Amino acid sequence: MINNSEVDLFPQKIISDKKKKSDKLNLVKAVLLDIFFVFYSIVVVQRAIYLKYILEIRDLPFSWNQIFILFVASIFIGTAWALSRTSLSCKLFGIAKDNKTTKWTVEIFAWFLFDITFIAGWIVTKISIVSIFSGEGLAGAERLFGAMFRPEFGIFDDALFAMIETIYIALIATLISIPPTLILSFFTARNLMKDNKISFTIYYVLRIILNFIRSIEPLIWAIIFSVWVGIGPFAGMIALLVHTIASNAKLYSEAIEGIEEGPVEAISATGANKIQIVWHAVVPQIILPFLSFTIYRWDINVRMATIIGLVGGGGIGTMLMQYQGLARWHEVGLIILMIAFVVWIMDYISAKIREAIY
Amino acid sequence: MILEIQNLHKVYNNGTHALKGVSFSVKEGEFLVVIGLSGSGKSTLLRSINRLIEPTSGTVRFLGKDITHIKGEELRKIKSQIGMVFQQFNLIKRRSVLSNVINGKLGSLGTFNSIIEKYSDEVYKEAYNCLDIVGIGDKAKVRSDSLSGGQQQRVAIARSLMQNPKLLLADEPVASLDPATSNSIMQYFERINKDFGTTVICNLHFLSLVRRYATRVIALKAGEIIYEGAPSDINEAWFKTIYGEEAEEVEIR
Repeated sequence: MINNSEVDLFPQKIISDKKKKSDKLNLVKAVLLDIFFVFYSIVVVQRAIYLKYILEIRDLPFSWNQIFILFVASIFIGTAWALSRTSLSCKLFGIAKDNKTTKWTVEIFAWFLFDITFIAGWIVTKISIVSIFSGEGLAGAERLFGAMFRPEFGIFDDALFAMIETIYIALIATLISIPPTLILSFFTARNLMKDNKISFTIYYVLRIILNFIRSIEPLIWAIIFSVWVGIGPFAGMIALLVHTIASNAKLYSEAIEGIEEGPVEAISATGANKIQIVWHAVVPQIILPFLSFTIYRWDINVRMATIIGLVGGGGIGTMLMQYQGLARWHEVGLIILMIAFVVWIMDYISAKIREAIY
Repeated sequence: MILEIQNLHKVYNNGTHALKGVSFSVKEGEFLVVIGLSGSGKSTLLRSINRLIEPTSGTVRFLGKDITHIKGEELRKIKSQIGMVFQQFNLIKRRSVLSNVINGKLGSLGTFNSIIEKYSDEVYKEAYNCLDIVGIGDKAKVRSDSLSGGQQQRVAIARSLMQNPKLLLADEPVASLDPATSNSIMQYFERINKDFGTTVICNLHFLSLVRRYATRVIALKAGEIIYEGAPSDINEAWFKTIYGEEAEEVEIR
């Protein structure tokens, strides 16, 4: 038995400890973020705006020493600024002093960050109105569009078969993705995995792996797999499969995270075990969103499959690549027309199906 | 004593101190009602009893056994002996009434059989029996979200009856129902309490219902017990202490 005075102290202590701890953590975060903000502003203003735009230097001189000096400077400025509790990051993490100085610095600095980012972006993109309206360019565009609007129907049969191949690639990738995605989604749903340390670690590791896979575009996966299993539809299918699993596992697990907690609580209160809770309280709530995501993904995969063909993933994309390489724009016109038509149809059908099941 | 609670504290992760040293005990066969404003800790208290949440300190004894910090199989066994009914019914919407009721039995069914939904005839018989007790045996095959609120709550009661509970917890079971339906739902709790001798602990808002059904009342305010006694002893003064000076009693019949 714990004696009385201890128990009375205990919860208050936890509360104040938690508050102190979170304040400290927020300050550390604010310091780091401020250092980044300051460093970012200095680099952007100095390199992109001053050297590149104002002095018009083409090949910027680069030295690690210079970057290092700038970084050290930002560490001092950023830390001092965050510790004064008047910086933008302090405001973001809710630990800023509530006075006029804070209000002004935060507002001005936020606008400053946005402005230099926009200006630097404009410079880096090399935006040029002139080249859109140059005579030579316009003539080329006219030749190309002219050819494309008079498509060559002689290759219609071949294009049709290639198109069907593309649709099948997308379909098979989507179908095969379903079982692994289902299993993964339960292991990457926070609300199911947060309870103990082991499951939370699994959740965390899987999340990182899936994020990594998803951040690599299917186009890149297709390049990898066309080296691995050889150029052709199979490479395209695997590329789509990998990306579909990673993306849909995220969507599915978000659906799981968004379920009503009530039924889960109720089933858990009957003494059901974890598997039974998932099967009887979670699964009935997520079947429809899962179905809807999968159908939508098939639609996306058809579009992606056309692109993947460009790097040797088979189907209509490969065909498009070949004719484009030969500069036969009439044929290219036909292929683009077909892709547009099929994508439009798929879009329509998948929207209708998704509407119907809800 | 079926339930003994001693010096129970609960501090949530966000720092909310929901229970501040609550102690009381419940005899077998009692109909205990917990009253108090929203946020006074009523729901936290009930959820600490069947361990949907883990108390921060203090002890909960159920049938003489300390269940405050038990885990795993042991915890599931205790949970399966305590039924719970919720304000929002918490049925599985797209499933039939019958399968919702059978869900109450999950604690004592095998994992595999419960997944392929292969249940023995006895389980079905029991489920129909529970539905008959709450008077909706004819709705067994209907999808549960097609029922009215009162009927859904009766299904939820039937689900908890499937557990053959020694203790039945009800977290504001009538708060989202109309007055007439509220009364009929409370009558089912009364019948279960009297006919089967099941101990009932119920969170309620309406004092007229409290006076009618409770054998004993506990009032919580800001996580502490400020009143414990017979329902008939709650007079105007107590009422104002529990619900604040501004409050006025609303009658529902």
